[in-house]
Amino acid sequence: MRLAAGRRERALDFALLLPVLALLAAFLLYPLLYGLDLSLSRTEGLEVTGSVGLAHYARALFGDAVFRQGLVNTVLLTAAAVVLQTGIGLGLAVLVSETRRGQAVFRIAFVAPFVLAPVAAGTVWKFLFAPFFGIVPSVGGALGLDLSTFAPLSDASLALWAVVVVCAWRFAGFSMVVYLAGMQSIPHELHEAAELEGIGPFARLRRITWPLLWPQTFALTLLTTIGTLRVFDLIWIMTGGGPGHATETAATYVYTTAFRSVDVGYAQAMAMILMVLIVALAFVEYRLLTPRVEAAAA
Amino acid sequence: MTTRPGIRPATIAVAVLAVIWIYPVIWTLVNAVRPTADLYRGPLDLPIPPALGNLADAWNRANLGGALLNSTYVASLTVAGALVVAIPAAFTLTRLRPPARAALFLLVLAPLIIPTEVLIVPLFAIYRNLGLINSLPGVALVNVVFSVSFATVILAGFFRRIPQDLIDAAQLDGAGRLALLRFIAVPLAHPGIVDVGAIVAVFAWNDFSGALVLLQRPGVFTAPLALTTFSTFYATDEGLRFAGLAITFLPPLVVFLLLQRRIVLALTAATAR
Repeated sequence: MRLAAGRRERALDFALLLPVLALLAAFLLYPLLYGLDLSLSRTEGLEVTGSVGLAHYARALFGDAVFRQGLVNTVLLTAAAVVLQTGIGLGLAVLVSETRRGQAVFRIAFVAPFVLAPVAAGTVWKFLFAPFFGIVPSVGGALGLDLSTFAPLSDASLALWAVVVVCAWRFAGFSMVVYLAGMQSIPHELHEAAELEGIGPFARLRRITWPLLWPQTFALTLLTTIGTLRVFDLIWIMTGGGPGHATETAATYVYTTAFRSVDVGYAQAMAMILMVLIVALAFVEYRLLTPRVEAAAA
Repeated sequence: MTTRPGIRPATIAVAVLAVIWIYPVIWTLVNAVRPTADLYRGPLDLPIPPALGNLADAWNRANLGGALLNSTYVASLTVAGALVVAIPAAFTLTRLRPPARAALFLLVLAPLIIPTEVLIVPLFAIYRNLGLINSLPGVALVNVVFSVSFATVILAGFFRRIPQDLIDAAQLDGAGRLALLRFIAVPLAHPGIVDVGAIVAVFAWNDFSGALVLLQRPGVFTAPLALTTFSTFYATDEGLRFAGLAITFLPPLVVFLLLQRRIVLALTAATAR
């Protein structure tokens, strides 16, 4: 009798999850299955006209140089974003924590880009990176240097790195606040004791702060990876994937293929590959970083 | 340790970096009142006298009034939807004992790792079959899916701080689950609910990729979409575009400045696990 009641209780506890599960079933699981079907189908517009088996996947992986470049760009962008956003974020957090006054103001300054809409951020940086009237030519001009043709977004060898700069600018502030919160939980005595031993600030950063912040580094690495692998809006606004395909990412190429070339089945196959890549990378990071997080917690 | 008098070097470094960081944001706001021609002539000068007409022109040309209303509608629906599904989910996952609790928590996090691009084509096809293209509630639903994980994680953090004794006592007194939600969870986690609402609202307000695909008719454009009309129809009016950007950026900026300390705390609490 009590067992039955317990089971009924737990079923009712479960009922509170029904809204979210219904939402995920309708708007996540069903589209995923629908998408899997599309990726295996020949499509005419949005209509399925037959089955192609794995042909779309084979074409994406072995026969499409643009998609390959998109994947390479995506991985480069993500690796750079992880290193820069966590690195700059940690640097900013250390500097800000050293200041006595105005911490709130500094925090606002560094986090504000995170709140700015991607559309706005993209537009602003398109201007700042423009030749002749952009930020580098203007500052250069004020210093008496002629940098008027510096235009990273229209230079195929620089465009991706320009995008990296903008991503770092947008998200480093977020990493900073996460690190700042982590640093507050590091006991002051540790630093004081090390200081008495004559250990300098950089050695303290490397041997005390950095290892104890592993949980934050772990969370930020995962979040940045997941976030950057699917970055679309910033790139779409700034370069549309160009010049040529220099800043084409898997995400922008999926969008163009689906909605410009209207090759829906093929676009969906590439999207599925992107998803597998994201899940796999997140899993690898999880496995690599978890032991160090546990060491930091111990 | 030698205590240096006056300003520390770290403070100077941070101040310089902060100016560099905030510069593009300030520049966006300043450009709102810069005549278009001056954008190309003197992008670093102060716009004196300010071209206040920019703001009115941008408002009219991009139909910003309508777009801001559309954005407000989508953002409100998204916040309401996200809270309605995330509050009971976060509560039962932290405070009650549904079967397979850990696995269900992971399941709720699934949207974090599934890229929008995988869902956007199928959703477009599904929405077209249902006649939901150009439907603002339809866009809000997609936003709810992509904010529900975040909302659940943050709310779970707040619900964990409610004493279990309080919940046990209420249950002994015969309170049902909905009563627990209404009289204990929601009132006690009220600040967290406000934070989550604010973050989700800013996210929905700024959403571009979902709206780009699902909204095709200018009459239903949200603000970020309306801003792109400057570049297609009025290729030369970058000054007006900045005016539109500034107007659109103002609501999330105000929300952020009002709640910045708490939003930052909520975000950190969510990533600290």
